[in-house]
Amino acid sequence: MAEENLVQPDLAFIKGVMDAGGDTLNCCYQCATCSVVCPLSTPESPFPRKEMLWAQWGLGSKLAGDADVWMCHNCGDCTKYCPRGARPGDVLSAIRINAIRYYARPKALANILNSTGGVISTVITAMFAVLVTAFLWSRYTGQAFPIPKGTVVYHKFLTVVPIDIVFLSLAAFVSYVSLKGIIEFWGDISRGAGLPTSFNGHAVTPAWSELFPKYMWPAIKEILSHERFKKCGEIKERATGHIWVLWSFIILFTVTIVVMIQADILGNIWPNAGFETPLVWYHPIKIAANIGAIMIIGGTWMLMNMRRKKTAEGIMKSSTQDWILIGIIFAVGISGAATEIIRLINIPVLAYPTYVLHLGCVATLFLALPYSKFAHLLYRGTAYVYQHWAEDVKAGKAGFGLEKPTTREKM
Amino acid sequence: MSGSILVVGGGFSGVTAAVEAAEMGYNVYIVEKESYLGGRVAQLNKYFPKLCPPTCGLEINFRRIKTNPKITFYTMTEVESVSGGPGNFSVQIKVNPRYTTPQCNNCVSGAEAVTTEVPNEFNFGMDMRKPLYMPNPMAFPNQCVLDASAVSSGDGEKIKAAMPSGHIDLDQKPEILNLNVGAIIMATGWNPYDATKIDNLCFGKYENIVTNMMVERMASPSGPTGGKIVRPSDKEEPKTVGFVQCAGSRDENHLNYCSYICCMATLKQALYLREQSEDVEVYVFYIDIRSPGERYEKFYKRVKGDAKVHFIKGKVAEVRGGSSPGGVVLVAEDTIGGGKIEKEVDLAVLATGMQPTGATVQIPGIEYNSDGFVVPKEGIIPCGCAKRPIDVVSSAQSATAAALKAVQTLVRRAG
Repeated sequence: MAEENLVQPDLAFIKGVMDAGGDTLNCCYQCATCSVVCPLSTPESPFPRKEMLWAQWGLGSKLAGDADVWMCHNCGDCTKYCPRGARPGDVLSAIRINAIRYYARPKALANILNSTGGVISTVITAMFAVLVTAFLWSRYTGQAFPIPKGTVVYHKFLTVVPIDIVFLSLAAFVSYVSLKGIIEFWGDISRGAGLPTSFNGHAVTPAWSELFPKYMWPAIKEILSHERFKKCGEIKERATGHIWVLWSFIILFTVTIVVMIQADILGNIWPNAGFETPLVWYHPIKIAANIGAIMIIGGTWMLMNMRRKKTAEGIMKSSTQDWILIGIIFAVGISGAATEIIRLINIPVLAYPTYVLHLGCVATLFLALPYSKFAHLLYRGTAYVYQHWAEDVKAGKAGFGLEKPTTREKM
Repeated sequence: MSGSILVVGGGFSGVTAAVEAAEMGYNVYIVEKESYLGGRVAQLNKYFPKLCPPTCGLEINFRRIKTNPKITFYTMTEVESVSGGPGNFSVQIKVNPRYTTPQCNNCVSGAEAVTTEVPNEFNFGMDMRKPLYMPNPMAFPNQCVLDASAVSSGDGEKIKAAMPSGHIDLDQKPEILNLNVGAIIMATGWNPYDATKIDNLCFGKYENIVTNMMVERMASPSGPTGGKIVRPSDKEEPKTVGFVQCAGSRDENHLNYCSYICCMATLKQALYLREQSEDVEVYVFYIDIRSPGERYEKFYKRVKGDAKVHFIKGKVAEVRGGSSPGGVVLVAEDTIGGGKIEKEVDLAVLATGMQPTGATVQIPGIEYNSDGFVVPKEGIIPCGCAKRPIDVVSSAQSATAAALKAVQTLVRRAG
């Protein structure tokens, strides 16, 4: 008996793909040139030819739960060689944006954070929230509001306690949403690839003891070195800007955590232990922070120019979502640098509003993690980990007694 | 007013159009830039799907030309410009010298007199020829040609001395003629698409990558290898052959249309190979096999029935050198079976498409579209591959239709 499958096209998903720069998907006639010229496509599961077909059929959930979509770094080689102008590179980029939306909860936040107006409103809302918090805090500390008296010291305006309260709860929310998305994504990609499932149909996962050393660590190493990104043909330059931004995030994240632990926690326990902020310029933490600031601005600047140039040359397209992410990160970098510089020049009327703007931008970037293109960090990272795991499963080395996996669903 | 018809191009389409119009009683001029009539068809080994040699169709037509006084043909001649309008075109042509006389039809003694050799363009440079040569074994007119370069060097005199007196005429000069005609049939045909332009298929980079037209010459008994399809590197018969379909065709970066004949040509060449060797394995990488119509479909089924001809649905987009000496690796995605295929073959054949000559050389006064096909106008009637990419049968039909249209132009103008 032939199995019957009624295809239910997810038209909303496909419309989303077309709106995000994938409007050429119907030009594809399945010659598979793209899958061969792609420097990252694997022999067992080549892409993006199959994704182009799924997109034409409207298989939204299949595309969202496809790890291969995330193996693509949008180098544009496929677009260059495509005989029909179907621009697979741009279609995949648009699929990724919609896959992020597919796993984002609540959808309303995804809608807001994927439109320019929505992002600006979010920054303004966040700034307003910061002002309200600072106003309430000034009642408690007795400092003047909104411009505290004397030289610019930001914790006169807002000390770390309320900032931490706001940001840690924001971080908790974002982590929850992200984790939920990742878990759902993991299940979908496992089922999509035909990996064996447990008796009750759940996707099998690596043992906790093995997850980090065997699968996550190799993935992290690849990401940190941009090993795959650098294989991209048409857009080698893009990897440089991207690696700057990635490392600036790591540096800035680390210094923020260190300062939070030292100044916010230890400093409050032992007020005179010397964890006073602002740190002097030659303090190692301060130096690292400033290098991070230069890298975030420089990296985004490179990415912005590269994208503008490659878009003008027709090598790639750029959607609103692409520009939004670059825009927020750039705003975080610039407002952060301005906050520090104005403090050093000591102009209170400018310094505090800039600080509020900076906090607004940072909060928006935080919130955008699972909703905007920023989520590529989550899903591409997961897809990398998954790929290492799937290789072991298929080779019968995953160690849960299934020597031979079920055959991969042929497309 | 003129009651004559000009046919530009003396290939299968042009010759057909000319004899059809002449047999209706009209004066016809054929202008052919090569030294022989028959065009691309003369280079073929066999026609598909009947697998008969091209002499079939060509010889009948040549006889019709010989016996019809209303046809005047010029070889080694180019059309320089076209002016005027329907019923009254003025066409300037340039007749290049052949440096031989009509009785010169055996050039052995002249060819032996010199050591100079040049690549033989009729065989796509796969062998060499002397400066005095017969263009091809069934050349019509059956008259030798002496290269202009030989005339300017000392070779001309040596050849003249070695040949019977009166056969070589080194004093011939290009002639400019003006023809007054009422209608023009454009049968300027096609060139194989330049495979070096498809950079990812590495033609010219690896010796054992050839084009389908090169295979046709090799398969021909009069060809450079005496009818054997061999790989260029070691002249051995290949044990595995990969055909790369749509090499340049259906590709907006190259030819933005289907060349129509390449699938059938590949199927035919697969049969050449299977006839040549019992154990040769043939791999055909394709996007779609286009074998339109009942007879072509039957032909496809016949080839498909051969267990040693394998069809892989997926275009070759990457080519590498293989591990065996001279081997070539073809990489494609198997879109039916799943996964990438890397197939090492002894010989790779690029099924290059047809590019109209209008894409490279255009005649002033004739309008072409962006691909180089001739745009039809009143009194200017394209046929064959100057009009669109088609096979020999359809070329003949379009040529007959063009002859009728040309006659209509004359009759209407004459009132």
